[in-house]
This record gives sequence, structure tokens and C-alpha cells, in this order.
Amino acid sequence: MSSTSVYPTPINAFKQSKRSVLSVIVDNEPGILARIVGLFSGRGYNIEALNVTVVDVQKNLSRITIETLGEEKVISQIIAQLEKLVPVHSATNLANLSESYEAEICLVKIEFDNEEQDQKILNFADIYRSRTVQKRQNIVVYEISGTSERINKFLDDLDTIGGIKVELVRSGPIGLGI
Amino acid sequence: MSNDNELTGADILLKALKDQEVDTIFGYPGGAVLPIYDAIFGQNFLKHVLVRQEAGAVHAAEGYARSSGKVGVLLVTSGPGVTNVVTGLTDALMDSIPIVCISGQVPSHLIGTDAFQECDTTGITRPCTKHNYLVKDVSKLSETIHEAFKIASSGRPGPVLIDIPKDVQFAKSKYISKKDISFREHRIKAGSKNVDKNFVIELVNHIKKSERPIFYVGGGCLNSGHQASQELIKLVNKTNIPITTTLHGLGCFPGEDKSSLGMLGMHGNYEANLAMNKCDLMINVGARFDDRVTGRLDAFSPDSIKFHIDIDQSSINKNVKVNFHTNTDITLTLKEINSFIDSNNIDFGDKDYDNWWGQINEWRKKECLHYEQGDEVIKPQHAISRLYELTKQKDTFVTTEVGQHQMWAAQYYKFSKPNRWITSGGLGTMGFGMPAAVGAQMANPDSLVIDIAGEASFLMNIQEIATAVQYKLPIKIFILNNEYMGMVRQWQELLHGSRYSESYVDALPDFKKLAESFNAVGVRAKNISELDDTINEMISIDRPVIADIWVDKKENCFPMIPSGAAHHEMLLSKYDKENPENQEKGKVLV
Repeated sequence: MSSTSVYPTPINAFKQSKRSVLSVIVDNEPGILARIVGLFSGRGYNIEALNVTVVDVQKNLSRITIETLGEEKVISQIIAQLEKLVPVHSATNLANLSESYEAEICLVKIEFDNEEQDQKILNFADIYRSRTVQKRQNIVVYEISGTSERINKFLDDLDTIGGIKVELVRSGPIGLGI
Repeated sequence: MSNDNELTGADILLKALKDQEVDTIFGYPGGAVLPIYDAIFGQNFLKHVLVRQEAGAVHAAEGYARSSGKVGVLLVTSGPGVTNVVTGLTDALMDSIPIVCISGQVPSHLIGTDAFQECDTTGITRPCTKHNYLVKDVSKLSETIHEAFKIASSGRPGPVLIDIPKDVQFAKSKYISKKDISFREHRIKAGSKNVDKNFVIELVNHIKKSERPIFYVGGGCLNSGHQASQELIKLVNKTNIPITTTLHGLGCFPGEDKSSLGMLGMHGNYEANLAMNKCDLMINVGARFDDRVTGRLDAFSPDSIKFHIDIDQSSINKNVKVNFHTNTDITLTLKEINSFIDSNNIDFGDKDYDNWWGQINEWRKKECLHYEQGDEVIKPQHAISRLYELTKQKDTFVTTEVGQHQMWAAQYYKFSKPNRWITSGGLGTMGFGMPAAVGAQMANPDSLVIDIAGEASFLMNIQEIATAVQYKLPIKIFILNNEYMGMVRQWQELLHGSRYSESYVDALPDFKKLAESFNAVGVRAKNISELDDTINEMISIDRPVIADIWVDKKENCFPMIPSGAAHHEMLLSKYDKENPENQEKGKVLV
């Protein structure tokens, strides 16, 4: 992608952009999500995935996990900007930790034509340790968790087995430093 | 449920303002703030300044804050009252000015119903404030106000807004005083109090090694307080290093000192920009590598080791990668550098940078601010020079609007102390200067306050002359009248083939009569022979004065680094025909 601007813009930066997962601890108060999302859109950063939940009721803390794209310089700037927001306690790039673990959960609804195909999908899902969570007539819902790469692979491979993916939902990655 | 210890939300607000030692508030009443106005009616510690439009209130609060170092406070009603201050809040955010804006909101039970004069205030102002609040529970009000003042003035300062629904202004609760509140550190973000010793040692070592060092000083030095400027002066005197300042850094170092290269950047001095381009050591003190300063980034000071002192972590490595940085307050850091030099008896005396100063003095010979004043038409540069000469004995505060006059003021008016120069830099808000002068005069009642204006900018907030008259604020509005939006016209001339699309301001009012109709005083200079007398007359009148100075309509502001060009690709004057190669590219920039 080329830009006509002589400023180095985030668009140029995507050339060397890499995926990063940011973990942000915030005070759970009204408007905090809007502040974070507004920061990303206002400064031209990308949000690939987003996950928000209260993690400590007593201390009133939420953890927000954001998957984003950008070269290292952009990611550092995102972190610095996030840490300027008043309700933000800390913002961490999981990739910068010496060790971290990431996981994502995915539910996929599959339609099958016959018993044989159903069995074939079940066997395949088993290899990924994906389990059936709901089944009704010729519709089955599988749940799979793991790294985003693993889920991507599962979904790609599923196409080769022949089941029709009717619908799917992913939580986006969450992660922790260890 | 209420008892005698409890106060209404409106009274809590007033008590908190008193606790915060606020004595001046700029505002405009309306339905959603009537309980607060009722509380203001019954007290006498707080002076309320009634502006004529809310935009005036926010710029006045900015002028008050910039000229006093205190937090500026304003009060506006819901809906249009608060949408009118969005520009000023953004201006304060860009220029790091501490202000607190109190806005009324429709009663809680009506929020979300599209009620009369309702708007999503916190939603609209979220990206243009440092922080904002909607107070839904009166028991949280005291704490919120005190936190707002703390946040506005800590770390890198900025605007904070508190939206208070009308029912919360009536509801009762206990007041909690400032001293009984313990702030949570992560929310205040005051910056580190520990000086980075390693940074100091590295810096001193690099100063010793360098051949061509330079100080590049910005508004952060101003925000760190008067002592920062004193420490800076000490350090410059010790080291004999040349110093250039940004638009907002003017006044942090005496403009007439021999070590000062003046302002740098798009309309900065030739010697300042070339010194930045050729230096081998750059010491950035509270500046943010703004695009108006750096010019084309890939050609910005290519051979220098860069040190950066900035309390805002996000300013580090944002536009320009630096070699060393610290996020500790400037005063503390400069103090440590000075005492490190003293206690280790480091003498820079043998290192006078003679070659470097020789080179700089060669560049100075270009006399980049030279202009030719004829016998008839007043040159705008000359008008500012004379204004400076005739006011420099006084402790003068100068505000400006935005455009050519602003740049000429920055170039030709010299400041020797911080906080005397109040201008809209980051956002470039036309209409800023006159209300800012109202604020500066409120904070400094005995000083001379001058708004250096263009006629187009002045018209944008002209209503505030009534505020100045009502409160007997003897501000001076010094209009460089060229009947054009001068900077727009200059860009059209340089980049758009002199097609002056909509930049001529037709049907201007008679500013002298206009002043009289407002019960202010109008004076005018039509040619060079009238200039000094007009300025002296303006200064001598103890009332608001509009001085209409007719200047050369075609004069352009030089030097100029066109957008997209580098520091060494300056246009020096209209006689200079060397246009930079990338003019076409520069056209797409602002």
C-alpha cells in the first residue's frame, strides 16, 4: 500500500507490522471502553480483536485484551497513549514479556448432510480436542480453545472435511504473563 | 434524610472551588446550571466573569491559566453551552493548559431522552479533554472536583471537564475537603520524582564530547514552572550552548540574550533552523518534535545525538527517535544537571564551541528577519518591532490570534520572562487572543495586556470586547489590518498560483467606530508617521482599546519552511526564488 503523504503514516507502518496482544488493566468505570476504542480510532490504530471483563470485583478492576497490528514503534506509542488514560493502571505488550500464555475460545456451528459426514467431523474435531457442546437435528456446535493460530488451523482444516460452517464466534485472544 | 451537615451539589461545588483557591471563574448561565448560579449569587470569594459566548469563557480560562500558572476555571450550561467550548478544550489539550470546565447537564432521569438542551457531553468531549466525568451521585461530587483539579495540573497539564446533572446540583451530601482526599497514584500520572542519574551523566559527557550542541526548548519548560526557566538560564550560561525555542517556549529564555537563536520551525530563524540541521548534540527540553518544528522528518537533524526531557512518556520517540530520554520533571532534571556540573567542578570554559558559534554567526549575517520599511505604508514587522520597543519597559503580557500576525509577533516581540506569551500553537485557533487577553488581564490586573491580532481572527470572537468593557479590563487589541486572511493568502500565493480564493475579507467594519459602539476606545494608524503616536496613545488609555493598524496588504511572513521541506530548505524572502523541489508533495500537507 502506498501513501501520497510525506509523513510516515501508520499505513506505511503496516509494511513491517506485526500482530501484538496488549493486556490493559483499568478501573471499571463508565466510559472506559469508549476511551480506549476512541484512542485507537482517533489515532488511526487497528483493533483486530477486543475482549473486556471485570477481573476483580473488590478492587473494581477490568482487564481489556486488545489484538492489534503495527510496527514496533507504533505499538510502543499505543502503549504510551493507553497509559496516559486516567483509569488505566497498566498496559503491557504480551510479546515483550519473557514468557506469556495466550488462548482464545471459538464456537462453530456446522451443518452436516448425513450421519457419515457427522462422524467424520466428530473424528476430525477429536484430533483438535474440540468438543460438541450442542447438537440438534443436522446442526452441531463445536467448542475449541487454544492459541489463535491453532483455531485458524482448525477452521481451515474443517473446510477440507466438508462440513458447512453456518456461523462462528471467537472471543479474541486473552493472555497472561507467566 | 438530609441533616445540617449536608450541602446541595451546587454548594459543594462552590466550597470545593474555594478549597482549591479558585477566585475567578469565566462562564455563561443557562437552564442546566441555574442552581450553581444561585449559589454564586450568595457568596463573595469567587469573581464570576460573564462572557458573551462560551468560546470566550474557555479561551479566557486558558489565558488566565497560561499567564498565572494556576488552573483556569469555567462554567457553562448543557447542550450548546458545552458544544461551544469544544474548540477551546481541544486547544488546551494540544497546548497542555490546565483548565477545569464545569458543565450543567439535564436532570439524570432525562439523560438519553433527547431532552431540551441535552447532548452527550462526556461523549463529545472525551477525545478533547485529558479526562472527563459525568457525576451521577452527589456523594461523589467533592472527590471528583478535587481529582479533576489534581489531574488538570499534574504531569503534562490539560483540560478536565465535570458534567453535573441539574438534579445532582440540588441533591444533598456531605462535603469532603481537599485535605481529606487521598488520590490514587495511577490516576494522577504526575511523572517520576526521581531524577535519572544515568541520563544526567550521559548528557554531561555528551556535552563535553560534542562540537556542535544546541538546546531545543518547548512549552514543557513553561509548564514545569518559573524555576525551570531559571535552571535553564544557569545551564546555558555555564555551557555556552546556543538555544532555540519553539513557539510556546518563547520567554523560557531571554529572547535578547546572545545565546538565544530565537524561534525555530516553519517561520523560525534561519540560524536556529540551520543549527538544528547541523548540530551533533540536541538537548530537547520539554518540546514534542511537532511537524511545524521538524519539517520533513527524514531530513530532520540527521547527524545529532538526541536527548529528550519530557514528562509525557508518549512524546518520547513519537515523531523522532531519540538516543536518551527521561520522563522526570524538567525543573528537577535541570537542577540535577546543574548541581552535577558544580559538584564535579566540570568546567566548560575551555570548550567555548568557537567554530560552532563562528558558523552560527555566519548564518546570523543573513539577517533573516530583515525588512524594508518605506516612508508611507506600515510594514507589519515594523509595527510589532515598534510595539515591542514602546512596551518593553513594562511587564507586558502578549496574546495573539492565529496567522501571519502571530508569527510576526513571535519573531519581532522579544520575551524575557516565562508566561508573558499566550498563543494558540497546536490547534491554531483563530479568535483565541482577545478572550485570552481578558483572562490574562483578570489574572494580572496591573499589567499591560496586548492582543496582537489580525482583523479576520479578531472578528471571530469580537463579542468579548463587551466583557472587557463590563469588567473594566484595559486590554489592548493591536490589529495588523491587511484586509486578508494573510496566512491563507500567503499559502495561495506560494502553493496555489496566487489564486486568492475567498481569502480577501470584504465588508470589514470600521474598527474605530466599532470600539466606540462597545464603549471602548478606537485608535488608528494609516501610515508610518502615525504609528508611534498611535501605539503610545493606546498604551496610555486605561480602558479597552482597539488599535486599527493599516499594514502592507501583500507582505508575507518569512523565513518559511514550506510543508514537506527540510530545515535547510528555507524560503528567505519574496526575493528568494529557490523553491524546494518537493513543492507538489508539500501541497497536500497542512
